[in-house]
Amino acid sequence: MLLSVISLFMLIPLAVALLSHDGAAPGFALTLAITVPTALLSLLLSGRDKSYELHHRESFWITAVAWIIIPLAGALPFLLTHSTTSVADALFESVSGFTTTGSSVFSHPEQLPYSLLLWRSLTQWIGGLGLILFLIATVRRLSEGSLRLYSAEFSGTVQRKLHPRIATSVSYMWTVYILFTILLFVGLLIGGNSIERSFCLALSTVSTGGFLPSHDAITALTPFSTTLLTVFMFLSGVNVALLYYLIRGRLNSLWRDEEFRVYTVLYLVAVGSCIVALLLSGNNTATSISYPFFHVASTISTCGYCLPQPAVWTQWLSAVTFVLILTGASSGSTGGGIKLKRLMILIKYVSNYFTRMLHPNAVFRVNINGHPMEADYVEKVFGYVFLYVLFVIMGGLVLTLCGCDIPVSLCVSAANMGNLGPSPLINSMGATFDYASLPSLAKLFLAFLMTAGRIEIFALLALFVRK
Amino acid sequence: MADWRFIMRFIGILLLAEGVAMLSCIVPTLHFHDSSVLDILISSGITLAAGSILLFTNRRFTSVSDRRRAYLMVTLMWIALSLFGALPYFITHLTTHTFTHSSILTSLADALFESVSGLTATGATVFADVESLPSWILLWRSMSQWLGGFGIIMMVLAIAPRLGINKYSLYSAEMSGADNTGKTSIKMSVTVRRMLSIYLLLTILFIIILIVSGLQLWDAANLVFTNISSGGFSIYNDGISRLTHVQQYIVAAAMLVSGISFALLYDLLFLRFNRVRRGLDQFRFYLGLTLLAVITVIIGLHFGMSYNWQNSIRYGLVQTVSVITTSGTLIDDTSLWWTPINCLFIILSLCGAMAGSTSGGLKSMRILILIRNVRTLLHTDMHPGSLNPVRLNGRPVSQELITNVMVIFFVYMFTMLLGTMTLMLCGVGATESIGATTGCITGYGPGLGPSGGFGCYAAFPSAAKLICSFIMILGRLECLTVFILLTPKFWRR
Repeated sequence: MLLSVISLFMLIPLAVALLSHDGAAPGFALTLAITVPTALLSLLLSGRDKSYELHHRESFWITAVAWIIIPLAGALPFLLTHSTTSVADALFESVSGFTTTGSSVFSHPEQLPYSLLLWRSLTQWIGGLGLILFLIATVRRLSEGSLRLYSAEFSGTVQRKLHPRIATSVSYMWTVYILFTILLFVGLLIGGNSIERSFCLALSTVSTGGFLPSHDAITALTPFSTTLLTVFMFLSGVNVALLYYLIRGRLNSLWRDEEFRVYTVLYLVAVGSCIVALLLSGNNTATSISYPFFHVASTISTCGYCLPQPAVWTQWLSAVTFVLILTGASSGSTGGGIKLKRLMILIKYVSNYFTRMLHPNAVFRVNINGHPMEADYVEKVFGYVFLYVLFVIMGGLVLTLCGCDIPVSLCVSAANMGNLGPSPLINSMGATFDYASLPSLAKLFLAFLMTAGRIEIFALLALFVRK
Repeated sequence: MADWRFIMRFIGILLLAEGVAMLSCIVPTLHFHDSSVLDILISSGITLAAGSILLFTNRRFTSVSDRRRAYLMVTLMWIALSLFGALPYFITHLTTHTFTHSSILTSLADALFESVSGLTATGATVFADVESLPSWILLWRSMSQWLGGFGIIMMVLAIAPRLGINKYSLYSAEMSGADNTGKTSIKMSVTVRRMLSIYLLLTILFIIILIVSGLQLWDAANLVFTNISSGGFSIYNDGISRLTHVQQYIVAAAMLVSGISFALLYDLLFLRFNRVRRGLDQFRFYLGLTLLAVITVIIGLHFGMSYNWQNSIRYGLVQTVSVITTSGTLIDDTSLWWTPINCLFIILSLCGAMAGSTSGGLKSMRILILIRNVRTLLHTDMHPGSLNPVRLNGRPVSQELITNVMVIFFVYMFTMLLGTMTLMLCGVGATESIGATTGCITGYGPGLGPSGGFGCYAAFPSAAKLICSFIMILGRLECLTVFILLTPKFWRR
């Protein structure tokens, strides 16, 4: 049952391998030679009990294990194409891909074979909506347990369903996702980019991943392409279900969604304050206005692209960046972070709490979109935020051990936990963080953080809970 | 209206006490002859006068009826005491220019910062060279921390429960005044007397021990005042590094004791073991965390900074205890220590020591509840429908308390984020902002970088100093009490 997941892989490396005529083909062939038999074997071994019903615990297990095994297999191409010799590097890169983080140990990715770049972007694209959603959409047999799986992957956030049948709503989501990818791809082509670059960028952007096909892929873009990317980054931070409404032209229901409103307002406020800060610190008007739009969209959606920095860096930008890394995007989007919906629930709850401090016997509920939130759920959100902060701080501690100073450590740790990836700019130096120079153990720890952030901690911790 | 008058009366009483304390700082000048008696008389005179006016114009008002006023009172109390407590620094500055900045406004900010830092027992200082200060100012710094430390215990154990603040707060479960049914049957004055006796007892005990170990009364008194209160002001520029090793360990012991809940100390002292059991979980967690942290830091010091074992053990033990109890007494220039250790210190000071002690931070009881609650959440996730409440000392913790803890945690983190952001906006560097916010909200004191270790906050812009002062008060009153004053709901009738 569980291992049938692996069989999904064979499709993707196969496609990539066929595409690649640049010397990496043997590596991919080798990868296939390893993954396909494993998958088939596991399918054969588990193939009998089709009526198996998924329990709560199992669904957590499947989610967590899928997120561990698939990146393991995904790391193989990096090793087998001799792009890197270190297992930790390959694993880091693969986990960073599937979790849509986008942290990379390759500072000059253009030196890699193109097929591998494509594979990197593809991992992000697959991971974008979540491996489990990928699974549900492709393996129909799962239908009865799929709701449990679905909620295990999105453990924290109650999802809006587009269709009573979970498999159908999942396929709606995939349709939206694919549509947006194609739109962006075509848009980038029109913007005058090469097919290779457009395709990679489209895959990484829509999934809010952030892998770049070359180190100057963003800086070399035309203003048109930059704007296009900004729009798509912003959109990929929106709940996919809402994007479905957008496509169907139901703008009303889009705007009626509280989380979307908060997301938009937060975006605009962050952009506005950054524009003011940049202008005040003496940057030229063009940069001051264009830079924040791109940067904030890239940060809030946890995509993680970086434009060339404005001439004078202001601390306010660093501060805003750090806050946005923590908050992250909307629930049900491809972005990471704590998610705005959770924060909204908490803020509303705390505000109610203040009232209750004055009127101890009053009873309050937290409403989101007019629906009351259950007390259990609110408590879970609190627990989640506690764990999240704990993980970020632990990550920070580990990074200080590697010689980074405290703000950078906290920022990089939060960026990986929130699946943002490439170094957010915390200080005036602001060059992208050099992941390659970290010790292997730190890389593995960061990979752990990325996974924890992507599957929202609970599913991962479930592995460690005794029965 | 009557509530306002009562608040004023209450503050009047406190100001009188503060004025008397200020006046008592005249004692060392009789020995050192280094201070202007006029300065002392002016500062304490103003404070006493203000106090008596407030007291005598409102002396008929004796109670607070409204919950709102109670929150207001606790916050105003700290603000008023801090404002008047700033007088000695300010007046001394006018006569002898103690602050580095010359303008009146910036020196006001400096004086306020130092005063708040004293009364909240934080221990962050703006004086780069404390040794040049007149002796009465040094004593006032120590004294204000000692008073602040006692004020905290009083507020938490005697005043707050009586005013109905935080009905479900941590202390009601453990407080000496509360009996098993949860009623606060014992009068406030009894609690005050008990706590005061413990506090005085500890102070005198440690002063005697330190004198026996060979320290002058002046040094011993200042040390104990600032360490029993988890404050951390020092009368020397280099903290306690010039003390003998034995004396340093004694100071560490004083800090460790001051991190224990005073209710628990009272019960231990009077052998009321059936009550002791109620606070045992937290006590165990506090000691366990301290032990673990001390060992980690010792290892870090030895391998990360290649100190020899003897020094690692001494530095590690004393400094870690100082951090966990959020005392802020320094045995070495920690700003030069290995970054991971400083990062660990931030985490530890956030944890803090036991609830109901003089220490700051989130308090070990909250951390314990948070951790146990997460465990419960995970368990219910796996087995929906199963019932396993969070337990503390063998008894299930009420949902209200868990909620309270989670709200405080969230608001605390939010405050830290906001504090760091505003400090950065004032032009303080990222590292220093993080350090200063943590140092101020937890009451540890020293930050990171130039404001950490033996350094001081003098280089901060005045706005940043005011923000830091506000953060200190926020941290001391555990955020909620102050934040509720900032909500529009509070002022709406």
